Amino acid sequence: MKKNHPVDEEPPIDKPPFFKTWKGMYWLVLGNLAFMILLFYAITKLYE
Amino acid sequence: MRTLDWIVLLGTIGFIVIYGIWKTRGSKDIEGYLKGDNSMKWWTIGLSIMATQASAITFLSTPGQAYEDGMRFIQFYFGLPIAMVIISVTIIPIFYRLKVFTAYEFLENRFDLKTRSLAALLFLVQRGLAAGITIYAPAIILSTMLGWSLTITNLVIGVVVIVYTMSGGTKAVSVTQKQQMAVMMGGMIVAGIMVVSYLPDNVGFGDAVAVAGKLGKMNVVDFSWDWKTSWDDRYNFWSGITGGLFLALSYFGTDQSQVARYLGGKSIGESRLGLLFNGLLKIPMQFLILFIGVMVFVFYQFNQPPVFFNEAAKNKVYATAHADELRTLEGEYNTIFEQKQAAVHELVAAIKTDDEAAIVAAQTQVQTYTDAGKEVREQVKTVIKTATPDAETKDTDYVFISFVMKYLPAGLVGLLLAVIFSAAMSSTASELNALASTTVVDIYKRSVKSNGDPKHYLNASKLFTLAWGLIAILFATYASLLDNLIQAVNIIGSIFYGTILGIFLVAFYFKRIKGNAVFFAAILAELVVLYCFYFTEIAFLWFNVIGCVAVILFGFILQGLIGKKNEELVKA
Repeated sequence: MKKNHPVDEEPPIDKPPFFKTWKGMYWLVLGNLAFMILLFYAITKLYE
Repeated sequence: MRTLDWIVLLGTIGFIVIYGIWKTRGSKDIEGYLKGDNSMKWWTIGLSIMATQASAITFLSTPGQAYEDGMRFIQFYFGLPIAMVIISVTIIPIFYRLKVFTAYEFLENRFDLKTRSLAALLFLVQRGLAAGITIYAPAIILSTMLGWSLTITNLVIGVVVIVYTMSGGTKAVSVTQKQQMAVMMGGMIVAGIMVVSYLPDNVGFGDAVAVAGKLGKMNVVDFSWDWKTSWDDRYNFWSGITGGLFLALSYFGTDQSQVARYLGGKSIGESRLGLLFNGLLKIPMQFLILFIGVMVFVFYQFNQPPVFFNEAAKNKVYATAHADELRTLEGEYNTIFEQKQAAVHELVAAIKTDDEAAIVAAQTQVQTYTDAGKEVREQVKTVIKTATPDAETKDTDYVFISFVMKYLPAGLVGLLLAVIFSAAMSSTASELNALASTTVVDIYKRSVKSNGDPKHYLNASKLFTLAWGLIAILFATYASLLDNLIQAVNIIGSIFYGTILGIFLVAFYFKRIKGNAVFFAAILAELVVLYCFYFTEIAFLWFNVIGCVAVILFGFILQGLIGKKNEELVKA
């Protein structure tokens, strides 16, 4: 499948940025969700 | 529309389409056409996934929804980031390992041809209808607001999408979506800045948010749960995190219009990052769109709102015998607004001085006038329905576009219309691309003509893109002949998604269950969902959970029965 790629292109990403493993990225997404829910809850309470 | 708006609108759309065609010219086989030669980087995948999900209705309806109902719709998306993680961990590696073109191809590998064909056909019916609606829904609003013919608006959206999707396939869809997403987000941010800048001088941004909060629009999260009443509450934390999770798993994991976006990635890593990018940004993006709707609501606390946001529908009534009745109600509505002004300014002053007693008093007064205004609006809707029985009396979809057309300066109206056209085109392009690839790979190549050469399947893919595009335009053109069509298509989606997800979850996680058991379990689960739809009041999000769980349960039971029968046959 990769035979069509020109040789001078950047290599594809197989490791996530900023983290050593994909687990770190997954926790980032879930942590971000938890943070947003807490933030939204705070906004709801602050402005109700 | 002013000349500058036309220049911005045509220039933006024209540039995106021409760039997309030029950049992706020359696909020579089905691999390049349907999977973009597996050359997509993560940010292209991420933006493409977001642009596919964000249809024109997202930008037209969502601010209107916030205007009416506040921010709580955001909870609908709480399950999405969890779904992105689950798909990244489990589904993507399997699809990559099997080198599939479509999600349904995997089902034959795991079960049998009939299960693959069933899932592919369910998708084709559901998405085929949805593609027509993706064109029709914004076209009906844009044609009303711009005074264009509905057929012309349908044709403008449909033909442009067919041209670049047919020409460049998956890669053209993803490349154009990157630009379209930039236009959409840029346009919405500018609209947000403009609406805040239009607030009175003594009302700052913080005051505007506080006013919205005191009038019940900053209701972002609701954790409350009542076993008797919360099941039919469409948007609360619990339905969002569970129903929303199942819906997002079905949509991103099994709907080819999304699966095709990440199957075109350079590697598993690129596809994963694209999905996680969506998991990080989708909720903030929806928050922004809803928040703009709330700011439009605050704007209309200080500026006279129209009694009915669909001006064209209102003007039709003025040409009937009910004109005087409507005129009287409009006068009443305007008077209520003028009386409300003093109370709104008192509320702002009380918020500034943080005087709790004064806030509550002003809040009650504003709410009384708001309720009186609502009552008049209901009477106006009754008059409109009586005078013009075909008229749609739900006007929330017109709130944002009516604000844009009336208040934004020349150039920005063109930009915001480009946002809406871009959104319509980006989702339609993904749908046509997915419909063509499923038709070619799962039906035509598998069951009709399996010995063609790559060139033949490339041409077939282009022809099926054209055919599905024409069907979508045709469906969009005649959609108005059917009652409650948009609602019907949304319900069809919810009814089938749970079952399709159930088939895929069984395929991924329950190796004991085989083809025959899952096939009949899917049919039984569908009957359960249909029962819930016809005979209960359960909100549609829950259908996704019910259908999915039912497939798994019935799958286990049927596999147990089939397994026993097989053992008896072996013994006999």
